Parts: sequence; structure tokens; C-alpha cells
Amino acid sequence: MVSELGRILSPEQVLSGPGAQRAYDCDAYSVDRSKPMCIVLPESTEQVAAVVRWCAANLVPFTGRGAGTGLSGGALPALGGVVVSTKRMNQIVEIDIPNRCLKAQAGIANKRLSDAVKDQGLHFAPDPSSQSVSTLGGNIAENAGGPHTLKYGVTAQHILGVTMVDPEGEILELGGKVPGGPGFDFFSLIVGSEGTVGLVTEAWVKLTPLPTAVQTALIAFPTIRDATETVAEIIASGVIPAALEMMDRGILVALEAAFGLKYPEGTAALLLVECDSNLSAEPAGELVQREIETVAAICQAHNAIDISIAQDEAERQKLWHARKKGVGAMGRLAPSIVTHDGVIPRSKLPEMLDFVYEVAERHGVKVANLFHAGDGNLHPCFYFDDRDPKQVHAVIEAGEEIIRKCVSLGGSVTGEHGVGVEKQDLLPLMFTPDDLRLQAMAKQIFNQGNLCNPCKILPTEKSCVEHKKRWRGVAW
Amino acid sequence: MGIHVSQLTDLTTQCIRCGFCLESCPTFVLTGEETESPRGRIYLVRSAEEGQVQWQDAKPHLDKCLGCLACTTACPSGVKYGEILELARSKVGKSLPKKALLTGMTRPNLLRIQLKLGRLFPSKRIPALLSRLLSGQTPEVDKPQLPAKKSFPSLDESKLPPIRGEVFMLEGCAMRVLYPHVNEITRRMLRRVGFQVREIGQGCCGALHAHNGYLDEAKAMRSRLYSALSGDIPIIVNSAGCGSWLKDGDRSGWVFDASEFLLQEGLAEILAREGTGGLTRVTYHDACHLSHGQGIRSAPRELLKAIPGLELVELEESDMCCGSAGIYNIAQPKMARELLERKWKNIESTGATIVATGNPGCHAWIAQAAREHGQRVEVLHTLEVLERSFLRPRSTS
Repeated sequence: MVSELGRILSPEQVLSGPGAQRAYDCDAYSVDRSKPMCIVLPESTEQVAAVVRWCAANLVPFTGRGAGTGLSGGALPALGGVVVSTKRMNQIVEIDIPNRCLKAQAGIANKRLSDAVKDQGLHFAPDPSSQSVSTLGGNIAENAGGPHTLKYGVTAQHILGVTMVDPEGEILELGGKVPGGPGFDFFSLIVGSEGTVGLVTEAWVKLTPLPTAVQTALIAFPTIRDATETVAEIIASGVIPAALEMMDRGILVALEAAFGLKYPEGTAALLLVECDSNLSAEPAGELVQREIETVAAICQAHNAIDISIAQDEAERQKLWHARKKGVGAMGRLAPSIVTHDGVIPRSKLPEMLDFVYEVAERHGVKVANLFHAGDGNLHPCFYFDDRDPKQVHAVIEAGEEIIRKCVSLGGSVTGEHGVGVEKQDLLPLMFTPDDLRLQAMAKQIFNQGNLCNPCKILPTEKSCVEHKKRWRGVAW
Repeated sequence: MGIHVSQLTDLTTQCIRCGFCLESCPTFVLTGEETESPRGRIYLVRSAEEGQVQWQDAKPHLDKCLGCLACTTACPSGVKYGEILELARSKVGKSLPKKALLTGMTRPNLLRIQLKLGRLFPSKRIPALLSRLLSGQTPEVDKPQLPAKKSFPSLDESKLPPIRGEVFMLEGCAMRVLYPHVNEITRRMLRRVGFQVREIGQGCCGALHAHNGYLDEAKAMRSRLYSALSGDIPIIVNSAGCGSWLKDGDRSGWVFDASEFLLQEGLAEILAREGTGGLTRVTYHDACHLSHGQGIRSAPRELLKAIPGLELVELEESDMCCGSAGIYNIAQPKMARELLERKWKNIESTGATIVATGNPGCHAWIAQAAREHGQRVEVLHTLEVLERSFLRPRSTS
């Protein structure tokens, strides 16, 4: 296999051997691990197509991978086979400022897109916390969100078109620089398909004007309830913040250890609220000022003990830095973490958070929360020692219980991290068997041989059940 | 299966695989390979330590690591990557040619003899045989040359502040042989802010050995050096790699990079008053062991900016390794060359006529690029730029 793929590409574009197989056996979701046979690093759409054609002809499963920062095992090579890395496809192909869009290869880090057009006052809005490393292709596969999703929408709203290689190895162009077009909207099936219906190699993305005015506030609350109740009320007031994030005590401890950040005595939870506008400068400033004042008043009514508003861009960046690196900082607390991802209606946040703490205690696992409160998108973060199988299983069970609760409160099993291998078994909580069959049929249209990222999203097909025993929860 | 614990395991479990280090890692940026990323290397080290893979499977990837520590700047979890790398390298088995090379480079007399002998060989590069032994690749590094002797006018005592203290100055192994004038300039700068160097015979600090996994030897060398430099006075270091290693030791509180010490002692004010820049455009390359290793980024810039008339332009990817990385450009010529060309492209696009840096390794390596690309840009130690501003007569004002 290695030598044949080496002939199709070049030998140095194929990695194999125990070291490489180990390094690519999981992404940032490290509970499940499965080794690939080899890894390829193509440099163009044509090379991806050649690899996929070879896989299809030889019935070898293949799995796409960007930076490997996914949190549900989307890049896990569940049946082994070939990992197709996009990391040598990291160029911006074309920038079209008048039409506010650009075309880039799938392996580029998201933040590099924004950096490239910063001087023109534009940016690529979807900003998962991992944006400095996670790839455009990964954002598309997972339909990623981020703190600014609340106002600007998730990735799907920012992708105009893609070039992709289908599971037979054919190159397709879907959508394009100009929105619209006749026929069925296959394109919206692609974004969020977690790499199961083909490999996206390039995309046209929409560029959004940078805000002309921004105010960012960090508010400390004495209880979790005070903070969660504030969230629903802010949205109900008519203000739509650009971001509305919450962090609890566990995160504060990690942040203090990591960055020496100090928070007021007696803080149980923090809200990070950002209001912005891209109206022309003068009214934008006034509007944003009014919004942040409204937010501050609501916080005060809910017993806020401290409200600090960033005075300049440096202070603002510091507040965000803590939020975006918060999960990473958890490494200070334990050898391993699993970040869960569920959605509930905002109004249920107080009830839900109580439940999260209760579940964690019952299973004897430690939990911290930092999440997109404005969207009701929870991220309970379990931290544990992955060398202890008991803890690993407690984490998996506690996570499933939390997701069940999300669904029972009228929410969803995932907000932005995808289903991957982590949550397949939970999909029946949301869909009837008929729904699931219909979705499987849609997947089949593209992925007939089930070679393209097998055993993902839909509740495990028969062929995957046996394999799954091999990697489910193996952790260390 | 029980829980194994070792120092190395404990250090590696700090990593939670968030991947925030990836784009900061030069070898990952160039190759796109997980195995050439900090996260991948940490994972392989942990796997090897716990018997999931062989050390031999991890070794090629540990060899390709520059040890630039850019990942530690990016890491939110506080993973001590430098320690992991040093410990892991000490486990993967030693290479005889590498050891010989380190010995040759860290004994100034031996290094001088080698440089003289080197002149007998016609090639511009280091001997191909040595390169092949170390890397299996053709050499990229030019043979270092013994510098022409530089002399400086003596300082005008009447204009100097009174002496208010003594310091040690680390003479360094490479610095002493290849850039002796930088040591002389360091003495002059210290004197300008009122400090005198207590001259003392001294050996190698062990930094190069440590960064290549010869930890025991390195620690012994550091201890010997510390005992030579005994006494509670500051130790001033003008070479980033040495400073970073010395700051990890017992006397860390006394070790200062020359730039941070001089800034703290008021050199910027003196420069603003007495220096001249001759309206040059200068850019600054962050040596890895200064920026990522010691967190020193602003001090050298502040000093340069203090020179009247000097325009400091920021270098794109200024804190990305140039590929020199100790003996990396000898041990991994191909990767080192790619990084050097990338660095050079960034330097050229600033339009600067001088690039300043604070480490002899970067200095020599980037200077080679300057020669190869037509010598349009001069490569200088940061302190050399400062010295020039004192030597140039003040024409205006």
C-alpha cells in the first residue's frame, strides 16, 4: 500500500511505520484510538482524487484530517486504512475584495484567512477557540461555530462554494463565488457532513466586515444561578451580543494557574459579553455603548460583584485570550480532558448547570464549564487521568447522561463539535428509526462503499459494531 | 493495567492534545506532519516511555525537533516541552559523531584549531564526511572562519558614570572564538551603565549538550561554571542559548541576558542622549532561546529603538526559528536550509539594511544567507548595533 501510494504521490508524501501510525491514531478527542495503515499528505485536489481513486479501487477505507483538533473523533481512522491529511494544502488561492470573498485550500488555519484580509477591514467570522490552528476544511466538515456564532452564524453561513473529491475519486464543484444557482442544494449537505460524503479540498468563503465599534465586558457573579439567569434576560432585552460566554469556577482555577489571572473574591462564575456593530463609526459607538450599558444593568440586577469593561484593544485581547485558551489551560488540572458539547434552550441554563454538577458528583468525576451561553451551547469539560480505565468509563457515562438531559430539555446532542464517534449512539434520542434510515440513504448516495470516513455520525452500522469494540474507550 | 508513573510520563500528561502548538512549530509548518509537531512528539515520547511504541520509532522525530520552544509560548497547558525533549533525547541513545561535534564546539581552543585546520580543505562547506555521519545529507553550513581582529577606541572615562557594581560576563564557547568583539562590546556597554566585569577563567555552560540530550554532562558543566562564577553578583550573558540554560539552574536569579540587564540599568536613556543611528533601517530576529526560552522580546527592541534616527521595522515571523538551533544546521541540513531561506525572504522584504539578533548560532547562520544573497543586509549582534551608534560622530543637532 505504502509503495503504491508513494508512486501515485511521491514517497515522502506517505508516512507509515509505528511512530506515524501512533501519532495519527486520534485527534483532540483522545478517548477512542484507532491506527491508520498509513498517512498521505497530498498537495492538490488532483492528488487527493488520485489517492481516493486508489482507495476506492482497492476497497481501502480513508479518513480526511486537518489539524486534528476535532473534539468528537471525526478524524479517527475507525477502520484503519488511509488518513488523508490536508496539511500540505494550506494556500490562499484567490482574494476578491470587491466581492468580499476568498478561495483557499482546505488545510489552511482559519485565523490565517482573517489575517490575510485584516488590512482591508474584513475577516472570516467563524471563530472556534482553536481558530489559530484548526483548518478551514475542519470547520466545513464540522460546521464549526465559536463564540461569535451568536450574532454571525456558524460556518455554513460563511461558505459560498467548495471543490471536493467524492468517495469515487471524482472532483466536484458545488456552489461558487456567486450565491444561488438552480437545482437541489447538495452543497448544504456537504457542510457539517463530518467528512463522510467526500473530502473538501478548496472553498470559497464569505468575508465579513470587522466591527467598527466593540465593547467587551467581564462580569463576575457570586453564584452559577445568578450568571445563568442573566444570560436569558440579556437576550430577552433585545440586545444580541456578538458573543456571550460563561466560565465557571473550575475554569478560573485553571486560568489562574496558566496565566496568573486573578478574579474577585467569591466569584463562582464569569460572563464574557461582547457587543459590536459595523455601522459607520459614530452611531456604531453610541449603539454599542447603549448595549453594553443595558447588559451591565441586567448583570447588576442579578447580583454581579464586579463588572470590568476592556478600555482598549490590548485589554480586550487579554479577556479573549483567557476564554480561547481556557480549555487548553485545563491541562494544568489533570492529564486528560473531554470537552462535551450539547445544546439547550437558553432559559433552561440554570436547571441544566445544576444537573451537570450533580451528574459529575454522582460519577465521581471532576467537571469545569466554559461555553457559549448565549446560544445555550454547553461545554462541560471533564478532567481526569486517562490511565485509569474506571475514570475513562465514568467520564463516558457522565457525558451521555448530560446529553440525554439536553435532549429532554428540548435541546440537541451536539452544537458544534459534531457527532463523530463520540455521540453516534445518542442520535436515536433525537431521531426516529425512519429519520435515521432516511439520513443513511442520503449518505449512501455519495458514499456507497462506506469507505469514506466509515463508522461516523449515524448509529453504528453492523460492519462497525465489532470494530468499535476495539477502540471505544481504550484511552491510554 | 496499573498506572505507570515516571518523571517523563508526568511531564507528557500535561498535554491534553488541544493542538494550539501546531502552527507555532516550524517543522510542522514546513512538513504538515503530526509526527513533526510538538503534540505528536509529546505523544510519541509518552508512548515510548510507556511501551506503546519503541524509542527507535520516536527518535527520527525527536532528531528533527529544533528545540526552539515556540510551542511553549503557544501552549496554554504549561507543558514543559524543553524538559521533555531533553529527557527524551537522553533516552534515545547517543550518537558518537554528535558527541564529538559537541566536544569540538564547546572547547574554544579545540574549535580554534579546527577552524585553522579547516582552511586546509578547499570546500566552502563543513566536511561532507562529517555531515554524512551526522545526517546522511550533504552539508549546508559554511565552515566558520576565525574573525579578523577588531579594535575599539578606548572609552572616554570622563564621560562615563562612576562604577557602581561588578558583574560576571559569560564569554561563551562559540562567542569567544567566532565573535570575540561582541564580548568586548558587552564589556563596554556594561561600563557605560556603570558596571565593571570581574574577569575570570571559565568553561562551557553545557547548553549545547543539554539541548542535545547529554543532560548529565550538561549539568556537571553548569555546576562547574557556577562554582567558577561564585559570588553574589549578576552573571551577564550575551548568547541566548547559554542564558536560557543557565536560567534553568540553581543560580537562575542572578543570570541576565545582556539586553535585559542593560535596559534595566538605563542604557536606553544613554543611547537616546549620546547615540546616533545614521538613519538606518534595522530589523530584529528573535533568537528562540531569548524569546521563547527566556521571554525576552521587548528589551532588545527598546534598546534599538532608543537609538536616535534608527527605524526599527518588524520582521514577519520574527520569532520563528532560523534553523540554526545549536548544531541543528549540521545535524539536519535540509530542514535547516528551508527555514533559513524562509527567514531570509522575510528579512529581505523588510527593506532593512541591518538585521540584529542575540545569539551566535542565528548570527552565523543568517550571515551565511546574507553572503549567499549578495550581502545587501548586514547581520549583527544587537549589541554591535548599539556600539556603532556610540562610535558614529553626532553630526546633527
